[in-house]
Amino acid sequence: MKLSFRKIYKELRRLDKLQEKRHPMFEKNKFAKFLIYFMFFYYAALLIFMGVVLPAGLDGSMASFHVLDSGFFYILFADFWARFLLQQTPAQQIKPLAVLPLKRKTVLDVYLIRAGLTWGNLFMFFFLVPFAFMSIFPYYGWTGTLGWLFGWWLLLVADSYWYLFCRALIIKNMLWIILPIVVDVAIILATILPEKNILGDFFTDWLEQFIFWNPLAYLIPIVLIIILYFANRKLQAEIAYNEVAKTEEKEMKHASEFKALNRFGIMGEYLKLEIRMRTRNKNVRMGFLVGIGLIVMFSIAVSFSDVYDGAFMQNFICLYNYLILGIMTLQSIMAFEGNYIDGLMSRHESIYDLLRAKYLFNLAMLILPFILMIPTIVAGKISLLMNLGYMFMVAGLIFPGLFQMAVYNSETMPLNTKMTSKTNNWVQQIVSLAVLFVPILLTQLCEVFLGDVWGYVVLIILGSIGIATYPIWLRNIYRRFMERRHKNMEGFRASRATN
Amino acid sequence: MEIRLRNLKKCFGEKVAVNIDSYDIHSGDMLGLVGNNGAGKSTLFRLIMDLIKANEGEVIMVGEFQGQPVERNVAEQEDWKQWTGAFIDDSFLIDYLTPDEYFKFIAKISGVSDEQLEEHLAKYEHFMSGEVCGQKKLIRSLSAGNKQKVGIIAAMIQQPQVLILDEPFNFLDPSSQHAIKRILTTYHEETGATIVISSHNLTHTTDICPRIALLENGVIIRDIQNEDNSAEKELEEYFEIND
Repeated sequence: MKLSFRKIYKELRRLDKLQEKRHPMFEKNKFAKFLIYFMFFYYAALLIFMGVVLPAGLDGSMASFHVLDSGFFYILFADFWARFLLQQTPAQQIKPLAVLPLKRKTVLDVYLIRAGLTWGNLFMFFFLVPFAFMSIFPYYGWTGTLGWLFGWWLLLVADSYWYLFCRALIIKNMLWIILPIVVDVAIILATILPEKNILGDFFTDWLEQFIFWNPLAYLIPIVLIIILYFANRKLQAEIAYNEVAKTEEKEMKHASEFKALNRFGIMGEYLKLEIRMRTRNKNVRMGFLVGIGLIVMFSIAVSFSDVYDGAFMQNFICLYNYLILGIMTLQSIMAFEGNYIDGLMSRHESIYDLLRAKYLFNLAMLILPFILMIPTIVAGKISLLMNLGYMFMVAGLIFPGLFQMAVYNSETMPLNTKMTSKTNNWVQQIVSLAVLFVPILLTQLCEVFLGDVWGYVVLIILGSIGIATYPIWLRNIYRRFMERRHKNMEGFRASRATN
Repeated sequence: MEIRLRNLKKCFGEKVAVNIDSYDIHSGDMLGLVGNNGAGKSTLFRLIMDLIKANEGEVIMVGEFQGQPVERNVAEQEDWKQWTGAFIDDSFLIDYLTPDEYFKFIAKISGVSDEQLEEHLAKYEHFMSGEVCGQKKLIRSLSAGNKQKVGIIAAMIQQPQVLILDEPFNFLDPSSQHAIKRILTTYHEETGATIVISSHNLTHTTDICPRIALLENGVIIRDIQNEDNSAEKELEEYFEIND
């Protein structure tokens, strides 16, 4: 019996709902559930608030919707980047369906159409609807308001397809991340660099035509949607095939032996494992390179720009320069190891050795921001003492805090197949909030009570104590990890099965 | 090394996966574990390896290690892992390493020298049939059969006194199945290790295991002494292979 497109559409929708409902981590994790709803309502309320307040703030020589329309792309940019956290690509979704007797293109069409029609595309309407009622409705009534919102919906659908296209390219090769960045920067520059904002004026005129239901105005997003739909269809099919058939990565061109690490014995082997994990797995590599990229960006920003010359900003950037890579990699410590946790757990004390290697690796990585900050130190913008203070604090005080996650993380993160979101447990949530605020609070307290010089000296001393005692606190973490091992392994196994 | 299972019980919800009052796997035994799907074979292996928590009871290893008498409850101590090797499934493999790198990693963390490792791998050259080592392929790019070979060889690198293999014949071609049978019997004869394997292949199991435990709904219902393949008929009757 041949299934109609409508039936396939309905059936796949039902399967996805079941998958969501029965996700083992989601089922278990009440806090995650609460947090998801809380975040949804929080951001929705924030957007509604902005939608109500902004029209009054923007009213000047131009009507507020004109101002918004001239910079409409900022909203689309925000919408685009937020999708990385939430939206899966069809290529990822069709993978488990590849062996079913359904045409791959049909399944792809289902997911692409759903990506266009999903309620998620309307999230920005929490902002746009109140904005339209405050700024358009009084002048153009229902017709104008609905026409403007309809135009925006088309723009958001086009943005969704643009995201899916970029995401698919990034799955192929992460360097494609440059594409949306270049496009965003180019549009921003084209509106701010010329003396007369021709592009901004065009945007204002174009989006204003939505109010009058001008078909030509809608034609632009509709054409974009069609082009991006078919571009996605081709690209996503290729990616899906590659993921299913595992056509990539058949043979390695070069496999370094890292012989220099042999002198460290067993620790050297675990260090090699850390390096290979970061270089040979797409998801780990991506996170690692983004972290390195941010460090380079922060360093350049502080060294060569006057924008961050304020004392607080310099402190802030300098501190997070040392912290960022640790936050990015240690928050989910052990989550990638969840893929082969049974093997590790079958070896005597291998987790302890692994944790030691991870700590040493992260210590070594702190040298990178230090080197990159040298020009700033030489230029006298920030002091050597401050740099050392932050570096030691991160190594000896913050890392021990982040390493606590090794005890509580119990969800496997896929090494290569793409994931979009993970349901963090409550400890992860608290730790991620804490590492964002505690370090800056700590440094500020030290500076306020002890002054610049002594504040940093104290941080260096405390950090040194943390570094020197690392075998002790790591042993404690290991002991607690072992106490929770069965619970964690159960979580790793369950989440591995759903990746 | 003797493995003592005492009052061992593991439940998943309402289902009792393993329920063994008392069972001893004697030192030097080569035990085949057979049973239908869902009988509890893999769960029992995971309990022995302390990879899951028993609801009740304990697994104790008793014997001698490096000249010293030892008695270890696997859930309470960890040093028994030094004399135990296992391969249960892919979650034992670090799949972003090449087989050579993986073997070297396992060897180093198990205190096996490069020379010993080379010697060890030389023994398995025929079993690997030129498709595992020196390939510059990551483990995740290998076929299921070759992954299986990597897992089995890695489990044996440290010359364990206790060797646990779940479905070692799975995914292997006939000549590799034959090879692994020979490898296991030779290893058993040479080292006197306690070996426990599970398999759905009754012929292979009865070929190499002098003792067979038949598992049903988590309970060992028969403990069969298999002399000259005498168990094969009994097992065939149980599994209703010959109508």
